[in-house]
Amino acid sequence: MKRMSENSPLLLREFMTEDDGWGRPAGRETFAKILSFVESHPGVVIFRVSLKGVRRVDISFAAETIVEIARKYRTFKGFCFADLEDTDQQENWNAAADRAKQPLFKWHGELPAIIGPQPSQGTVDALQFALVRPEVRAAEFATVSGTSITNASTKFKQLWDQGFLLRTERNAESGGVEFVYRRIR
Amino acid sequence: MDEILVQLPTGWINASKFEDLLRFGQSPHEGHCSSVRFRFPIGCQLMTDAIVRLLSMCNQLDYCVKRVILDFEDGEGGVAGYLNRIGFFDCLAPQIEVSPGRPATWASQIFRGQNRGVVEIERIDRHHRDQTVLDRLSDAISVACAGREDVKDLTNSAWMIFAELIDNVFSHSETPLDGFAALQVYRGGNCLKVTVSDSGRGMLETLRPALAADAPQLAKLPDIELLVEVFRQGLSRHGGSRGCGLKGCADKAIKFRAELDVRLPSVRVLLVPGRNGYSPNKAYCYSHLPLVWGTHVCFTIELD
Repeated sequence: MKRMSENSPLLLREFMTEDDGWGRPAGRETFAKILSFVESHPGVVIFRVSLKGVRRVDISFAAETIVEIARKYRTFKGFCFADLEDTDQQENWNAAADRAKQPLFKWHGELPAIIGPQPSQGTVDALQFALVRPEVRAAEFATVSGTSITNASTKFKQLWDQGFLLRTERNAESGGVEFVYRRIR
Repeated sequence: MDEILVQLPTGWINASKFEDLLRFGQSPHEGHCSSVRFRFPIGCQLMTDAIVRLLSMCNQLDYCVKRVILDFEDGEGGVAGYLNRIGFFDCLAPQIEVSPGRPATWASQIFRGQNRGVVEIERIDRHHRDQTVLDRLSDAISVACAGREDVKDLTNSAWMIFAELIDNVFSHSETPLDGFAALQVYRGGNCLKVTVSDSGRGMLETLRPALAADAPQLAKLPDIELLVEVFRQGLSRHGGSRGCGLKGCADKAIKFRAELDVRLPSVRVLLVPGRNGYSPNKAYCYSHLPLVWGTHVCFTIELD
């Protein structure tokens, strides 16, 4: 079995039979392999997907593979691209993610770009806040932005629901439970 | 009526001219004819969108046990020689008669992939997904357009268009006959034609029943408007998360200001790109056309 940590990328090509990803049947076949791989790594929360060796994908293949796995695990696990440079491929991943309403991130060092649906106008500021920090709490954003904690919590919950962020429950210093939100990187 | 004659004119014939011939003549599929003759005069030249449509239609008529005759007035010296070189006769049902005779050698197998600007016809075998078909078609574009700065973008876009259209043939057409994919780069006309044709039920036939349940407002649209929406917003019989493939094709083609020609069993839409992509008010529509089974899609991409 391949070893996996959050630092080693998921090499999509290893799950494909060809270096071109064509059509839904091939996508579904690849999805099944990725699913099995993800399930065999229960401790890993974020999978960085590398497209190294993947020459081309069409939108149908994109929709059935990484977009579908991200949609399936939304709110539980996150998937992002480690090296999505090809413009043509990016258009196709974007179209597939858009259609499925499943955002994915690609990272250029510290700079994120969203593939697929964009956040709503009302949550952009909260997402921007979260993307430049390893983890955030709604209260921190509320303090910085001058909004109420309830309002900040609503925004982060919405971003989590829509697949832009992940979250974990932690014991708050005050004694209750609080949510800690994490970017998908 | 025993025989229908489809008399082709001289000069260049594209899909539109071919459709006009069908529209203003007797319908080969309908009526009681037992034989259909296509006559090609000296000086007749066919473009790839017309060739693939003709090929599908001939095989369909043959499947309906009609006698089909292709009558080439200048023998192999004219358009028949050209059709031979591009693989037309390799794909033609064996029972179809060719006058003065089928070419003796399959020139397409000798020339395949070697000529810049040449058309390639690829059979889409409904029993086998051949990934190399996509490579051959896109490689032909990269060779023919090697001098262009945007050759990579063009090749990748064409690959995507073929990938989605051919995938659509496998997924939706429920075709009893093989489909065909073809391309041709016209150096003189500075355009690239990318065409995929199948002999199935036609995409709206499979889409409408699903829409009736999921999106009744769309299901009420006339064929032509619904067809535009398939390429504009992406619709699928499998629901909202699917159907992005054909929209994706259109988005790629729009980058190159491509015209889109879609022929279904009885309607045809020719979409011209506008400021916001393809739209119903930039569509040339034809309804009540003579029956041709299947879905026939052609993108004409301007290269300059």
